[in-house]
Amino acid sequence: MAFIEATGIGRIYPGGVVANDGVNLSVEKGEVHAVVGENGAGKSTLMKILFGIERPDAGTLTLDGKEMHFSGPRDAIDAGIGMVFQHFSLVPSFSVYENVALGSEPNKGIRFDREKAIAEVRALSDRFRLNVDPMPPVRTLPVGQQQRVEILKALYRNARVLILDEPTAVLAPQEVAELFVAIRSLIDQGKTVIFIAHKLPEVLEISNTITVMRQGKTVGRVKAADVTEHSLATMMVGREVVLRVDRAATKVGAEVCAVDGLTLLTPRGSDLCRDLHLSVKSGEILGLVGVEGNGQAEVIEAIAGLRHVAAGEIRVANENIVPMTVLERRSRGIASIPEDRLAEGLASGASVAENIVATRLGDKSFVRGGLLDLKAIKANAAALIERFSIRVGGPGVPVGTLSGGNMQKVVVARELAQQPKLLLVSQPTRGVDLGATQFIWRTIAGARDAGAAVLLSSADLSELLALSDRLLVFYRGRIVAAFRNRDGLSPETLGSYMLGLSEQTPDEMQAALA
Amino acid sequence: MSTEAAAPIVVASAAGNMRPPSRRSIAGREIGRAAIAVIIAMIATVIIIFFVSKSPTDAFMTLLTAPFSKTRTIGLWVDDVAKLTVTGLAFSLVFQARQFALGVQGQLYVGALAAAYVALSPIGQTWLGLPLGVLCAMIAGGIYGFLPGIAKARLGANEIVSTLMLNYIAVELCNFLVRVQLVPPGSGLLTTDRFPKPSLYPVLVPNTRIDLGLIFAILAVLIVWFALYRTSWGLKLRLVGHNARFAEYAGIKSNFIMVSAMTAAGALGGLLGSMFVQGQAFGQLTVLFEGGFAFEGVLIAIVARNRPLAVPVVALFYAYLRQGAQLMNIRTDVPAEVISVVAAIIILLVASQFGLPAWLKRYAVGNRAGATR
Repeated sequence: MAFIEATGIGRIYPGGVVANDGVNLSVEKGEVHAVVGENGAGKSTLMKILFGIERPDAGTLTLDGKEMHFSGPRDAIDAGIGMVFQHFSLVPSFSVYENVALGSEPNKGIRFDREKAIAEVRALSDRFRLNVDPMPPVRTLPVGQQQRVEILKALYRNARVLILDEPTAVLAPQEVAELFVAIRSLIDQGKTVIFIAHKLPEVLEISNTITVMRQGKTVGRVKAADVTEHSLATMMVGREVVLRVDRAATKVGAEVCAVDGLTLLTPRGSDLCRDLHLSVKSGEILGLVGVEGNGQAEVIEAIAGLRHVAAGEIRVANENIVPMTVLERRSRGIASIPEDRLAEGLASGASVAENIVATRLGDKSFVRGGLLDLKAIKANAAALIERFSIRVGGPGVPVGTLSGGNMQKVVVARELAQQPKLLLVSQPTRGVDLGATQFIWRTIAGARDAGAAVLLSSADLSELLALSDRLLVFYRGRIVAAFRNRDGLSPETLGSYMLGLSEQTPDEMQAALA
Repeated sequence: MSTEAAAPIVVASAAGNMRPPSRRSIAGREIGRAAIAVIIAMIATVIIIFFVSKSPTDAFMTLLTAPFSKTRTIGLWVDDVAKLTVTGLAFSLVFQARQFALGVQGQLYVGALAAAYVALSPIGQTWLGLPLGVLCAMIAGGIYGFLPGIAKARLGANEIVSTLMLNYIAVELCNFLVRVQLVPPGSGLLTTDRFPKPSLYPVLVPNTRIDLGLIFAILAVLIVWFALYRTSWGLKLRLVGHNARFAEYAGIKSNFIMVSAMTAAGALGGLLGSMFVQGQAFGQLTVLFEGGFAFEGVLIAIVARNRPLAVPVVALFYAYLRQGAQLMNIRTDVPAEVISVVAAIIILLVASQFGLPAWLKRYAVGNRAGATR
């Protein structure tokens, strides 16, 4: 019998949603076991059951041969299970060791024994190569370190099994590498790691065994060595997935948007970008490449009207849009898919229909004399739900109850309901499952083929390479390289410019785009 | 930790089988929650009364039944419902736009002052006294709501602080003006003359306090509901309340929405001022006549989850408790302050979105599943 054995797990949420239906999971001691599946496949529910947050309606759970009945996370922690959520539960103003010890503080009499806590945290960090200093306040740490503080919390409570819920979603590539070092060292010292993910290359790199879930059921358990990215994706989605967008020989038309001498400043007055020039034409996707924080996303925000422009012009159809309001820009055919759908792209408490109509409240077909035409708004939303195959019960359902991929589809549906002239896209598929990614890519390419000029920024190089016609690399607010997207272009080439290791001369840039 | 982020999908392949929580079931859950909060609060009340009173059963029965005992007490109850509804609506409106403006009290006083000036002027003797009094009260209240709104939009003044400060100004302004202008000189009274009849709200049910204010309250509910859910202004207001950054990105002028919401709520506060002084309960302006009543609207709005149609329902229950407590105060040895404890417990339970203990929930869910449908 395996170390962790979950058999026939069933969980039906009130309201009849079947989240888990006869799920089997069997994890050996000392392995990295990945659980993969699309958003909504039931991975999170299964993990919540393992961690005692949810109680299964059916099935049994055994740990080390003993049957377990958790009535809450406390029981799971006592049994040696630790979980790191995507959203951390840390006290930002507390130091690392205070966060780690919080709730299980070592005491000297009635006093909190700080020395002991610091020493223990330092020892744990060294032993598992987590590389976390116990002293600084958590809010000063980068996300990757905060995540390792969460891991420390679990280890501090003597976790034998560590569940990591999509740990890489929030990390930069270098941080992912550091996390993997830590995971390997955990395994070396006898811990067991359950790793939830949907980025397949990472899954294949780190895990020994993979359980694939689809629609609340387990569809397979495979050795990582025996599968490829492609076969795994097919298992997950249940059909062939082609994550490639055919680049039709599109007709590149006239210039739609020109950025001329643009300077953007941080609130403290330092440069985000200075004297920037770029231009995008109808029928092309211009990819803006760069490590986050090098100005590419900020340029897009400035064009959308969400960021103050310190100097320079942004011309759309030969009109300077810098002084215009967001609404005026939108009425000139600018659509935008923002970076963070929950923070900017949606009102999660409002219904799907309300979110879809939010940008069109000046439109006579939805609002007449200040009154909402509820019928038209509902019909429009229903039509877009159909057209963009959004999985939702109806137009009146609050957006916040949808899965990440479907939320993003609501944003895409709203922005592309009408063909835009200029489409601004940031991180269109962050945290979105494969099926929806495929759909969103096709939709963006479709808008381009219909004549839109598209500006795309993404942290995912494969996304940029799959979609862009031209690529500009940003480094510290300047464009350091330009490429036409031809088959020979590799992520490594882009990487060396992204990290500022090399830079093209103006002539080279000209030549590259010719 | 996001609990709903990973919304599980339904196994059934047909999309038609998906059953998201319907509006009715959500409403049912909210009502259930409120009902449980009331029950817990009542249990606490029983315990307190048991310790305080010599005859706890009498006191508790008075609390529960006294408002229904006479036509007059029913009148007191209904009058309270109307007023609680209007203050609850005013708070709901600003809360839905996620503005924590607490200015209803000040708006109520300036509204009452405006109504009093109209009623005590020569116009007050004519038929114009009533409508003009109401109108001036609403305009005064509206201006008093607009001020903290524009101060926030232009200067970034925190609306909680500015509205609370403006409340003091209005209370003391009323105090001052009543003493030096509105009361006959040298009389030393703190109350104006009774307003002339044409300026008073007509009585709807004889020998009770039920007057035109009830109609105003009902109209206010309908208008606020319509404005919030059927106009583009209301949709924008709710979107700003849900996510101001999203509203900005969608091109909604959130500052305009914020200021207009606070102004509209101010007009409701002004209306409430008129309902007090022109209504049957007072029919005159007295210093400090309101006694903190306006803030009961915060409780109403929180329990009603800022839903205009739920506001009168909550007001109905809460006014009953308030009147029951008043009568208990008069007829038994338990002071009316007990009701503050009840109110505080209800607010705590509702605002904290308390969850039931697992065993109780399982029991409740099991029962519901067993029920034939």
